[in-house]
Amino acid sequence: MNVIELNGVGKTFRDFWLRPTVKAVDGLDLAVAQGEVFGLLGPNGSGKSTTIKMILGLLAPSAGTISLFGLPPRARAARARLGYLPELSYLHPFLTAKETLGYYAGLCNLPRAVAKARTAELLEMVGLSAVATRPVGGFSKGMARRLALASALIGRPELLILDEPTSGLDPVSTNEVKTLVKTLAAGGMTILLTSHLLADAEDVCDRFAIVNHGAKVAEGKVADMTTSLQDFFLAKVGEGRTFEVAPFLKG
Amino acid sequence: MLTLTALGCAAILPSLHFHQFGESSRMARDAGLSALLIVGLAYSVFCTVKPYRREIESGTLQMALAASVSRPGFFLSKLAGVFLAYLVFAVTVTCVALTAVNGAELGGALAAKTGDIAKMYGPSLALAVSVLVLPPVLAAALNRFLRFRFVPTATFLSLVLAAGAAAFRFSPHLAARFLPAAVLLVFPAAVFMAAAAAFAVRWPANAATALMGVLFALQLPFLGDYYLSDALSRGGTVPWSFVGLAALATLPLVAAFALLGIRLFKDRDYS
Repeated sequence: MNVIELNGVGKTFRDFWLRPTVKAVDGLDLAVAQGEVFGLLGPNGSGKSTTIKMILGLLAPSAGTISLFGLPPRARAARARLGYLPELSYLHPFLTAKETLGYYAGLCNLPRAVAKARTAELLEMVGLSAVATRPVGGFSKGMARRLALASALIGRPELLILDEPTSGLDPVSTNEVKTLVKTLAAGGMTILLTSHLLADAEDVCDRFAIVNHGAKVAEGKVADMTTSLQDFFLAKVGEGRTFEVAPFLKG
Repeated sequence: MLTLTALGCAAILPSLHFHQFGESSRMARDAGLSALLIVGLAYSVFCTVKPYRREIESGTLQMALAASVSRPGFFLSKLAGVFLAYLVFAVTVTCVALTAVNGAELGGALAAKTGDIAKMYGPSLALAVSVLVLPPVLAAALNRFLRFRFVPTATFLSLVLAAGAAAFRFSPHLAARFLPAAVLLVFPAAVFMAAAAAFAVRWPANAATALMGVLFALQLPFLGDYYLSDALSRGGTVPWSFVGLAALATLPLVAAFALLGIRLFKDRDYS
């Protein structure tokens, strides 16, 4: 059974006068099966985050259909089964780490006792127990990232959507996130992630799709790759792109 | 800052003894109700637009909407939250204004009895200290030693001290006259909050505030239905039945703006 299905999905952003400005996603077909770790890869501005936001129901597609657990993305029953880590850690700066997790536990309708127990466990897991009562506004980028990850997991979701999960993390924390993804996947959780760090994606993903200019350019299983994902990606996306150092910077 | 402004306006009222209009507390009462209306409307706009826009612009809205929260539910819960915050403001300012009117009557009586006009400054000084100086000082101490959050603590202490001051020399007769007039002023603020919320989910803060300015200008002719300070002159009262009718007239407006807000919020893209 597919947890996520996208059929011919497109998204065109428009200005105030409804004139089209950017075609961020163009006719994208995608299917993520239950229990797999799926990597959505692509260069900056390729439409990965837009696709994820459409899957979450934050953006309405201009064309095509999306289904999440067989339901429309804006159905509460579908969203109740997912956890989301955005590209940037959006947290309320005046809340403490403990209150932040309490807030997201409330959004997931968790009973108070369960919320309290999970908060303690997750803070321990992401290494923030010692700063549980500190306002989040004073956290470093890495700490905020780990707290956002804990927020995504507090509802014990069946589907976890991670947008650049290792962005802003040091190598040790990056490794911990990879271990966490593998552990969660082994437990049966479906994971959709985007990443620029292709070696990391290669380590954790079962399948991947590469998008460029909003369209899918490749899809496959990591196990079937004959070259590294990095080389494959550069061959698919980097073709035709040149980078010339500005003359005034030379010499 | 708006709360402090309103409290400051209300606290100095007993000193305004040169403008009695035939009643020692008339000026205090008129100005207290005016502060509640004008600063209350400003409070209702800024304290509604800001939380909605902050959620949208900081991205925390994405996190909430990605969870199993319905958009209408989110919109209405937030509106209920800002209305609750406004009620704390309104109750605090009403208590201070009530005490100010009481203080003006007391000061007027003392001044008339002793012939010393300086006696009228006493209640103002006591009020200013209790609602303007004590709460921030105590909240700062609690923040320093017990890590209480400053703003919520100071707000709560203002409410407690203002209520305490109002209860200290409680006059049932005065309260029966003043409270209906004060409750009436909550209604235009409720309409403003619903409208500000509806505009804030669609337009940036500056545009939403500008639209509220237009709405304020359009509402000006009707504000007289809510601001009934004149009715309290020389022992007059505002009947509670009128307050009930005003509430009934207000509800459809609040509902209409809330529905508009839900409609504008429901299909909007947030990224």
